[in-house]
Amino acid sequence: MPLIETVGLTKHYGPVKALDHLDLSVEPGIIGLVGANGAGKSTFIKLLLGIIAPTSGRATVAGLDTVTQSQAIRQIVGYMPEHDCLPPDVGATEFVTHMARISGLPRTAARERTAEVLRHVGLYEERYRQIGGYSTGMKQRVKLAQALVHDPKVLLLDEPTNGLDPVGRDEMLDLVKRTGTDFGITVVVASHLLGEIEQVCTYLLAIDAGHLLSAAPISTFTQHTPVLAVEVDEDANGLAAALAGRGARATVDGSCVLVALDSDGIYDFVRDAVADMALPLVRIQQERRRLEDIFREPAATAAVPPAEVQQ
Amino acid sequence: MTSNGSPVTATSPAGSIYDLGYRHYDGPRRGRVWAMWSLYAESLRGIWGFGRPMSAKLAPMILAGLYAIVAVIQLAFSSVFAQRISEGDKITLATYSDYFAAMWIFVFFFCVAQAPEVVCRDQRYSVLPLYFTRALGRVEYAAAKLLSLATSLFIVLMIPNVALFVGDILMKTDTFAAIGTEFPKALPSVPASVLVAFGLAAISLAVSSFTPRRAYAAIGIVAYVLLMEAIPAAIYSIQQSSAGGAGGADRFFLLTPITSLEGASAWFFNAKLDPQNFQGSLTAQQYLVAALASVVVFAFVLVFRYRRVSA
Repeated sequence: MPLIETVGLTKHYGPVKALDHLDLSVEPGIIGLVGANGAGKSTFIKLLLGIIAPTSGRATVAGLDTVTQSQAIRQIVGYMPEHDCLPPDVGATEFVTHMARISGLPRTAARERTAEVLRHVGLYEERYRQIGGYSTGMKQRVKLAQALVHDPKVLLLDEPTNGLDPVGRDEMLDLVKRTGTDFGITVVVASHLLGEIEQVCTYLLAIDAGHLLSAAPISTFTQHTPVLAVEVDEDANGLAAALAGRGARATVDGSCVLVALDSDGIYDFVRDAVADMALPLVRIQQERRRLEDIFREPAATAAVPPAEVQQ
Repeated sequence: MTSNGSPVTATSPAGSIYDLGYRHYDGPRRGRVWAMWSLYAESLRGIWGFGRPMSAKLAPMILAGLYAIVAVIQLAFSSVFAQRISEGDKITLATYSDYFAAMWIFVFFFCVAQAPEVVCRDQRYSVLPLYFTRALGRVEYAAAKLLSLATSLFIVLMIPNVALFVGDILMKTDTFAAIGTEFPKALPSVPASVLVAFGLAAISLAVSSFTPRRAYAAIGIVAYVLLMEAIPAAIYSIQQSSAGGAGGADRFFLLTPITSLEGASAWFFNAKLDPQNFQGSLTAQQYLVAALASVVVFAFVLVFRYRRVSA
């Protein structure tokens, strides 16, 4: 059974279409939810939590409908909001214990789980100090702890690395990864940074302006493509023309010539053409797909010829 | 630990004996009632500043003390001058039935100071999404907040009543007989305090819930109460000075927050309404109905507000 399933999920805010007919079905794992600011990531997460109602369509989490069974969903879901959500005048221990009890844990269990979870996210002596004095990194850890404290089946993280420095970012991503792999909790990570998603996720959902761009395991985005990149220091256009003259499909991309790998003979064509023209060759490499491409492709195929698409 | 007595630290890295890894929680998960109770308890602690810095304790303690001060002075007198009182002197600064009417300003200040603390904090620091994605519903949230402030006000209101009761008993030589005669006189202060507590709590929370800023909430409460006290009085005096008497303008006094609570408490003591405080010809019973209606209306406003507020 898919963990998250949506059928025609649509959310309009007045005339703004935050999400438009989203159909998807996701298996457990670490799921990256990527899109620019305003693409509809937070709206999607809030719809899954059942704190906002869809305009039309429906969504299920672990087989539970987000509208009719939101109460049951809340028992199995942990949510880390994008914005600050911590009162400054209490300690982390007191706050997380309180949240555990609101989630339905009895008094003793709430205290024990709080101690464990705060240790997991890496908060030690400072847990009794007031949250107001914490650094951004520590606050993000407390936010993660309150989402984890009731041992959810699904963790929804909205921009967990917001405002963190590179070290804090790596630590947070490592925590997210551990949560997904070691703790066996399905994690949905929303982010506008593809690099982060690439680092931790097993599955990728890309949305743009309320539409689903793609939904697939992350490996399919980064595998080799049947394109050979030939980088030369000068006269890339001449090389492309020469290769085209030999029957290869070649396009220019900056100082690179991208050649379609239609046959094994392509390597020979390239070698001969470069040697004939005496060009300074920098590298010959089979292109890997990049995650960014999923955001570029629709635009590229629509209007701009690939050769003119810049980095 | 080990049967051969070798030290544990010799074989395991420091700290790892406590690290049991992430453990899933499979204990009981309680529902909405427990969540509401937990929020109630936490809010009650917050109102009195327990688990918060010293500065958070000052305002509630001082205001509760000021409200009780006359009763405490009377208690002190009655114990110091117990001898003379038993010979026939009477020291009576205050009675159960008129205590609130005389000292209400301190209870009102308690509301102004602590009602914003109860509800504005969660909006100011965006804690609401964390609550509403858990077992807690919006109605339960509003109910827990209302109950916590009403409980606090009830405590504030009852301290002087208890002091008066103890003082009255100390004034008598036969303690047991005194309890028998004083208790029925003191008893109406319990339902009267419950009503006043809920009346003030509902108004001040309903006003506070519309702003995340404590200062605005405090100003809002003061403005609402003072205006609603002044406007009916103004209408009444204008009507009275114009041709042919008040002519039913006194029914606007039913809209007053403080006066109607004073009138309603008089009903519990079966006391006559002092014409100095109560203009017009309204009865205590009418004030009682007005006060009960105001509790219901403002409780609905509070619930309505939290049904609408975005999480």
